[in-house]
Amino acid sequence: MKKWAAVTLAIWALAGMAGAKTTLTVGLDSDPPSLDPLLSSALVDRQVQNQIYDKLVDLDANLKIVPMLATSWSVEGGGTVYMFKLRQGVKFQDGSDFNAEAVKFNLDRYRTAPGSRRAGELAPVKDVQVVDTYTVRVVLKEPFSPLLAILSDRSGMMVSPTAVQKLGADFANNPVGSGPFKFVERRRQDRIVLAKNENYWMKGFPKVDELIYRPFPDDDVRTANLLSGAVNIISPVAAKDLETLRKNPNLSVSTFPGIGYQGIYLNVSKGALANKALRQAFAATIDRDTVDKVVFLGTAQPANGPFPPGSVGYDKSIPAPKQDLDLAKKKLAEGGKPQGFSFTLSIAPGPVLAQLAQVYQAMAAQAGIQIKIEQVEFGTLLDRGTKGDFEAMALGWSGRPDPDGNIYDFVRCKSPNNYSQYCNPKVDALLNRARAIRVPEARRAIYSDALKILLDDLPYVYTYVPQTTIGMSKKLSGIPTVPDGILRFRAADLGE
Amino acid sequence: MILFVLRRLVGGLPTLLLVTLLVFALTRVLPGDPATLLLGEEANPQLAAKLREQLGLNRPILVQYGAWLGGLVQGDLGRSIRDNEKVSPIIWQKLPTSLELAFFALAIALLLGVPAGVVAALRRGSATDAGVTVLALSGISIPNFFLGILLVYLFSIRLDWIPPSGYVEPWVDLRKNLLLMLLPAFTLGTALAGAIARFTRNSLLEVLSQDYVRTARAKGLGERIVVWRHALRNAAIPVVTVIGLQLGGLLGGAVITEQVFSIPGFGRLVVDSVFNRDFPVLQAVVLISAISVFLVNVLVDLLYAAIDPRIRYG
Repeated sequence: MKKWAAVTLAIWALAGMAGAKTTLTVGLDSDPPSLDPLLSSALVDRQVQNQIYDKLVDLDANLKIVPMLATSWSVEGGGTVYMFKLRQGVKFQDGSDFNAEAVKFNLDRYRTAPGSRRAGELAPVKDVQVVDTYTVRVVLKEPFSPLLAILSDRSGMMVSPTAVQKLGADFANNPVGSGPFKFVERRRQDRIVLAKNENYWMKGFPKVDELIYRPFPDDDVRTANLLSGAVNIISPVAAKDLETLRKNPNLSVSTFPGIGYQGIYLNVSKGALANKALRQAFAATIDRDTVDKVVFLGTAQPANGPFPPGSVGYDKSIPAPKQDLDLAKKKLAEGGKPQGFSFTLSIAPGPVLAQLAQVYQAMAAQAGIQIKIEQVEFGTLLDRGTKGDFEAMALGWSGRPDPDGNIYDFVRCKSPNNYSQYCNPKVDALLNRARAIRVPEARRAIYSDALKILLDDLPYVYTYVPQTTIGMSKKLSGIPTVPDGILRFRAADLGE
Repeated sequence: MILFVLRRLVGGLPTLLLVTLLVFALTRVLPGDPATLLLGEEANPQLAAKLREQLGLNRPILVQYGAWLGGLVQGDLGRSIRDNEKVSPIIWQKLPTSLELAFFALAIALLLGVPAGVVAALRRGSATDAGVTVLALSGISIPNFFLGILLVYLFSIRLDWIPPSGYVEPWVDLRKNLLLMLLPAFTLGTALAGAIARFTRNSLLEVLSQDYVRTARAKGLGERIVVWRHALRNAAIPVVTVIGLQLGGLLGGAVITEQVFSIPGFGRLVVDSVFNRDFPVLQAVVLISAISVFLVNVLVDLLYAAIDPRIRYG
């Protein structure tokens, strides 16, 4: 009898312990396609990757580079050599050691593995050398100031070399890092489950036992799940739902400017918009404040260029262009179309994007410019962009912490994301100079020079900076607001 | 009978082959390059070309089809373009979910539709009949996404009885599994119930006017026996046909309902693989759906024979 009582008590205690497990559930807008930083090409991947992996360096709320796995660094050789001192005593989740060899393994893998999506941003790296167990030297081909910012993203994520060697192609489905949470399981389009890394190097963290990510592509469904308490935090929140969430006494909402931008590619190589004066005419019809107020209910800050406020490249002396219909009419006359002209604007599907396109349409009509809106599925849109087979195309950029990542591959002659087919050697020269300089003020000055040319040539109309929007339970605390939009759950606390 | 089933199964193979060829051709006609989509924000022409080669997408279509078919014969459905996962486990992960949803939706449809149709037929022209007709038409015409959101608003947000969406495997938590299945199954089921009620009513009315029903009544059989045993059984053939068609559709994945309730079944898999141009997954899903529709059809034929002894297959 006594024995039974003891067993029952033990079971009771165990059940109690199981019940005490804290689970934090996160609602995202899509299912992260790849958890291996090597293969990752979607913004949403980084949400989960940042919990599984630590990076060499991280960003703080002001986009400043702060230590993470690298405790300090120094730049030598006129900006071509970066020396990193590494954190000691860090172990990967599979028990193997983090050290200089691991850093070399990771950076070399990102640079050279077949199909690496990181090879492009790490192309300026010439060599990675192990100096001693906890010191690494990164040698560059030429001075490249965006390096640290790039190492605060996927290229700086340190995966376990042992796990990569053991799992090969299956690593992406069984990722191992040194981050606060370790991978447990994933079911496509349903959930990704992570568990607390009991041996995390920062003592006392993380605070929750389990982290579950769930994809809700539909805005209403995502909001409904937060309202009902089925998830603790969602991002993004659709602009139309912000008010509902703000009014709810159990929820809190935070919005802050992101690091990306949105706008319109104008094809400079063919169609009506190949005429510069007509591009200027169209651009002058855009009223960015109306876009912000009408379509995004105050969550889309008017943009003056590709660098959002907070970025090293942001120049507050350049105002976001205002609507100027007189200028538009003057430019139409200059372009030989005083009565106006028409062009097709291609957009991706979605109610908000359609509404935005209609607002552009109405604004352009005020100057006699007719816009035909064409909604095409996203894959098709990208295809047309790559082929330069469009007149105007609404497509933005998620953004990178360093200004170089928001401009270098978009407007240089024949660069990969230069859908507008724009080419101006002066701009190319400025952008190449800007990435070689490390003094922020000097870089900003060069970017401003380039931006002034772009605002005149108009291969792209920068319209607004989308805000990062987060809705969460008021019980939840300890999540820093970093402009890159990634929710860092290391210190997250459910207050239970 | 067994011979019939065998013959049907073998006879279905060319159809299935044609379906696979068609899907293969259609996916390749779609604009949009899987490699570019896969590279997303990191796309550049050289990397995309390398990736296409790595994925075998630069080979002639017929060679690709041959390779896929060769793998299929050996039970190998290939690997997903999106995350390099093997396709078969993905299918096995999703299939039970879609089957479960289809099962519950059909159960709700039958439980609501058949009795409603019978009552409406028996009280033809009455207010009940009119009521059933209105309800049935509403069930058919209310779009699933609307009813779904409405149900979520009422039961999850207002009343807080049921979690708004998601899926838990029955072997993990049976109670929660059933609870989560309730709203999506009801959403799908009511639409089907409407059609079933209409067909049951019309078919039963026709049968009730037949001579043998009059004879049965003249023999002095009770109304209950006349309706449930004699009339309904004969009225069942068109109803079974409709149910068969509906079940085929359900097994192909209830795209919208799965989206609204975040159920990770075939429907979401299809949408996702179309958007990502994940050809191997898409082909596999369509193949499995085609096989399901085909099997349901064979089953319906067999049911005909079971319902009506005059129908024999030899």
